[in-house]
Amino acid sequence: MITMTHYLIFSALLFCISIAGIFINRKNILLLLMSIELMLLSVNTNFIIFSHFNNDINGQVFVFFILAVAAAESAIGLAIIVSLHRLSNSLEINLINKLRG
Amino acid sequence: MDILTILFYLVSSVIIFSSISMVIVNNTVHAALLLVLIFFNSAILWLMLQAEFLAIVLVLVYVGAVLVLFLFVIMLLDIDYKKNVSRKLYLLFSVVISIIMFAELYMVIFYHDFSGTIETSLISNSGNTYEIGLSLFTNYIFSFEVTAFILLVAIIAAIAINMQEKKRSLRQNPSKQVLENKKSRLKIIKDKN
Repeated sequence: MITMTHYLIFSALLFCISIAGIFINRKNILLLLMSIELMLLSVNTNFIIFSHFNNDINGQVFVFFILAVAAAESAIGLAIIVSLHRLSNSLEINLINKLRG
Repeated sequence: MDILTILFYLVSSVIIFSSISMVIVNNTVHAALLLVLIFFNSAILWLMLQAEFLAIVLVLVYVGAVLVLFLFVIMLLDIDYKKNVSRKLYLLFSVVISIIMFAELYMVIFYHDFSGTIETSLISNSGNTYEIGLSLFTNYIFSFEVTAFILLVAIIAAIAINMQEKKRSLRQNPSKQVLENKKSRLKIIKDKN
């Protein structure tokens, strides 16, 4: 019998793997964006788990909004990556210091 | 063990192992394809949680649009994979941090009493999509319209970031043409003879 705890531990494991992915792939900005997508997926899974077990549809409506915002975010992120690659011909993050912040 | 238990362990182990390999793989194309696998298996998991509409949306919108966009960008950029960047420095650090985070989350989840939440059927007889639509277009109608606006902003921003003037384009510039006068065009050279 699969209980809520099983699902929640799975989701936590997925989130921790994607956190590790952000640390490991800090050289490649494209893989960084993919790790962020993975984090959003685990958060969405958490929303759906609680929506299912608490018998409440509002969690799934929230997942709908998160999916729309995540699609917009990844589209803008990929556009920034393309223009950055055109500017400096590499995707390494420590070379991105154009703003001199 | 019933069939749902076996299916849960199968799908979740596929997701966990492919996400680990997505994190440590060096090739970006392989990472994007592994992400496709992860999203497909997550859609199966969401179907097991009786979220049919969102599972289909995940496959259609995410696998069909966002990950194809990722693959297009990877193809356009033509990244050099031979240049092997050293990632060993942060591997131990990241593993330690994520193990600590997972231990904390595990303690919170495992020692919290979730026994009050019994698995119930969310759908009465109208269906999951009907319920979501009813909630979306009554309680959340303003948020829905804001979401539409956010998507519009994303389209315009993605075009505006990457739009650049062609350097040697032969296109006419009307405002420049209007501003031209006789002095800037004609040059009278006196004949010496």
